[in-house]
Amino acid sequence: MSFKSAVITFPGSNCDRDALSYLRDLTYGEVFNIWHEEISLPKVDLVILPGGFSFGDYLRSGAMASKSNIINEVINHANGGRYLLGICNGFQILTETGLLKGALIQNKSIKFLGKDCYIKKKFNNKFNCNIQNNEVLQIPVAHNEGNFYCDQDTLNYLQDEELIAFEYCNGEYSLDDANINGSLHNIAGITNENRNILGMMPHPERAYQDFHASKDGKKIIESILS
Amino acid sequence: MNDELILQHGLTLDEFQVIKDYLQRDLTIEELGIFSAMWNEHCCYKTSKKWLKKLPTNNEIVIQGPGENAGIIDVKDNDGIAFKIESHNHPSYIEPFNGSATGVGGILRDIFTMGARPIATLDSIRFGNISSDKTNYLLNGVVQGIGHYGNCIGIPNIGGECEFDQSYDYNNLVNAMAIGHVKNDSIFYSKPKTIGGLIVYIGSKTGKDGIHGASMASDVFSEDDEDEKRPSVQVGDPFMEKLLMEGCLELMSSGLIESMQDMGAAGITSSSVEMASKGNVGVNINLDKVPLRQPLTPYEILLSESQERMLAVINKDDNEKIKKILKKWQIDYEVIGEVTNTKRVVFTSKEKIVVDLPVDIIVDDAPEYDREFSLPKKRKNRNFNKTSLSVDKMISNYMNNLNYLDKSWVYSQYDSTVMGETIKEPGQSSGVVKIQNTDKAIGATTDCNPLYIRINPERGMIYTVLEAYRNLIASNIKPMAITNNLNFASPLDPNIMGEIVLSISGLSHIAKKLDTPIVSGNVSLYNQTNDRPINPTPVIGMVGCNLNWKKLIQNKFISEDDELILLGNSLGVNFSPYYLQDQKIVSSTCEYNELLPPDIDLEIKTAKFIQETANKDLIQSSNDISRGGVFMSLMKMTYKNLGFSIMLDDDDIFCEYSAGYILAVHQKNKDEIINLLNKEQINFLSIGQVKRDTFEINSKKLNYSDMIEKYYKNFANIIN
Repeated sequence: MSFKSAVITFPGSNCDRDALSYLRDLTYGEVFNIWHEEISLPKVDLVILPGGFSFGDYLRSGAMASKSNIINEVINHANGGRYLLGICNGFQILTETGLLKGALIQNKSIKFLGKDCYIKKKFNNKFNCNIQNNEVLQIPVAHNEGNFYCDQDTLNYLQDEELIAFEYCNGEYSLDDANINGSLHNIAGITNENRNILGMMPHPERAYQDFHASKDGKKIIESILS
Repeated sequence: MNDELILQHGLTLDEFQVIKDYLQRDLTIEELGIFSAMWNEHCCYKTSKKWLKKLPTNNEIVIQGPGENAGIIDVKDNDGIAFKIESHNHPSYIEPFNGSATGVGGILRDIFTMGARPIATLDSIRFGNISSDKTNYLLNGVVQGIGHYGNCIGIPNIGGECEFDQSYDYNNLVNAMAIGHVKNDSIFYSKPKTIGGLIVYIGSKTGKDGIHGASMASDVFSEDDEDEKRPSVQVGDPFMEKLLMEGCLELMSSGLIESMQDMGAAGITSSSVEMASKGNVGVNINLDKVPLRQPLTPYEILLSESQERMLAVINKDDNEKIKKILKKWQIDYEVIGEVTNTKRVVFTSKEKIVVDLPVDIIVDDAPEYDREFSLPKKRKNRNFNKTSLSVDKMISNYMNNLNYLDKSWVYSQYDSTVMGETIKEPGQSSGVVKIQNTDKAIGATTDCNPLYIRINPERGMIYTVLEAYRNLIASNIKPMAITNNLNFASPLDPNIMGEIVLSISGLSHIAKKLDTPIVSGNVSLYNQTNDRPINPTPVIGMVGCNLNWKKLIQNKFISEDDELILLGNSLGVNFSPYYLQDQKIVSSTCEYNELLPPDIDLEIKTAKFIQETANKDLIQSSNDISRGGVFMSLMKMTYKNLGFSIMLDDDDIFCEYSAGYILAVHQKNKDEIINLLNKEQINFLSIGQVKRDTFEINSKKLNYSDMIEKYYKNFANIIN
């Protein structure tokens, strides 16, 4: 059975095209692009909620998208145990729908941040199982609200239940602080309890081709496929 | 109509008389508004037209030259590259965030209006002395505005320039450039083809923002103007533009559009007049049909510069299909008029004709001035004394000057990797993106050396273009064409007019020599506040291509022990203007020596050499030499822990160059490169090697991490 996947496009999504290429180039399977007003989702193995500024970030990043038609189908998809990956704005949408815990607030610098960042895996799951412990990945970030925040109990819970997938770390020769945006515990990505939903701020779909500054983004899809 | 009203509209009484004599009647207030919008400098180039005509605008790769929304060049296999640069200087001084954001929005519309999908933006921004709070406020606002708009709509910013000089204290400059990819058989133009075609309005509703924006952009500021002019600044909504872009591109790819024109400066007036003029037709528009945000008079509707709006001509039968597509994208859409055969522009409101003018008089009879200009005086040459400057001191002067430091504080606020096709991000010699599903790399850079141009506008302009040329060559991108943004002070001053005339002449000369035609551009005059003019700042954006991205050269060091080879001729202490200014040897413009004549033949020969050797994979990495000389060029090449050790005469380390490059060459290829250089008779010097954790100049060892820290961090330290 070949691997099938889909990317949801909201008005204002701007990484949907990149995410489609990422899936086509790395899964070799069928890839669907689904408009947010659709009320049904084809049966696929993986859904990506892409980055961007869905609905112009009106109200809060991800808030409007979390109420759009397709979201019920996305929830059903995830409840069926299949994979759901939210990247950047997609991560924000996942916290707004309540599928993931916590919230993403404005960066500590109060500025948009677009650069390469370094992350490593914290706890093992299906999205990062092909990555070694302590292996440092170089992947770009581009966000204004990427600062992961939650209350202390939730933070303890994420830690105790091993739901933290990625954390920011220092790269070799990097001049900057490991924690680029002020996230609690350097959190760059978390999963749900079932570990089939991952939200992450870095953009793996911008780090997989030969001409990209790094190809580390491949490892997420490779882990899922493995 | 009284004189005061005419002058308030930015027309001279003579100009008004020409109109009256032609029409043989008085004008309505709406018609006066139209002439105010169309006959100002920003829209009709009345001062610069005579000189702009001299620019080379065509060769075999040019598909569209100046005169459309953007220029387009051919990069083979039906792929075209559309690009243009445009200024938003005045609005960005009055309201930096919205002024610069809408500058980006406007230039992106120019690109997708032609059916091209934007693939990159660049910017060229200039500010006054950083010690003033005002400059800091402008810098923060402008960078945030550019970032906000481009990041939201999702187009990568791949490069640009950011300069500080006190001549911009009261007039900062914001020039935004955009690049798009189009299939050459699916380009859209603004010229309507069918009489009876429907004129449709697509995009945001019209509001009061930006009324008289274009005439504001053609005016000298006085210091108390700022608050008064703020309502003339448009407010941008990148989310709406994203929807508009996707909606328009979908309409165009579905074959539902006949022609399209964006509503930029002077809104519905200039877009409809330009359409009529290009098609040699008339237009009949009912202003009551225009979607409004608030109640507006016909006069206000005509002059509003509300953002994210398009005018298009469609076939009657396609109306319903278009409605359906635009409903999906939640975009306002309304039929507001039709194309006629009258060659007149007619606007009606409440069943009354408010404007009825022949297109000819608005466009063809627009004033064209041959303003008086004076040539700069001959300069005397002298020797400057720099004996008190130690190497340490020279380094410290550069490392504490914003113009030399890494600008990641600026570009980390921009998304440079969205769309997933970015090959070279800002901070390298040029930005490079790949055209999706091809191997083609498109490179671009923006440049200007205002100090050179102040000293000698003609030669200075040639140096500016050559610097942009080297930026592209250093990445092995073949330079192909130019877009220009001529920012100057008031042309009513014959000295300033002289700068305009001579720099255009220099641009013309060098563009012909390099075979890089000018395919689009923009003029921004009156950048002065009272008697404080800006430095002449004719910015150019240069675009090029390498059909195989794998042949690009890196601009950073790759491996230890690579040989460092210096190409080009040092201009020497006495003829390096930025060196003299920034090492504080010279303080007044009148003291500089005449610029040395640029060695164009050497530039071309050297470029050819680099392209040929890069294609044979003989070069590891390279960088061009510009402001800050060999020193800054090497500084920019450092990567991770790879530094350098060099031996070279002190003067030649810090001065500027003609045809200057640093090549890093693998030891195994060193002999071959040297043989080839000798064969081509290109002067070179082997100056040292790439060395790990080393920063060594003439046996003087500096602390590597300390230098790197300064270069990458001092910008933020100085402005915060």
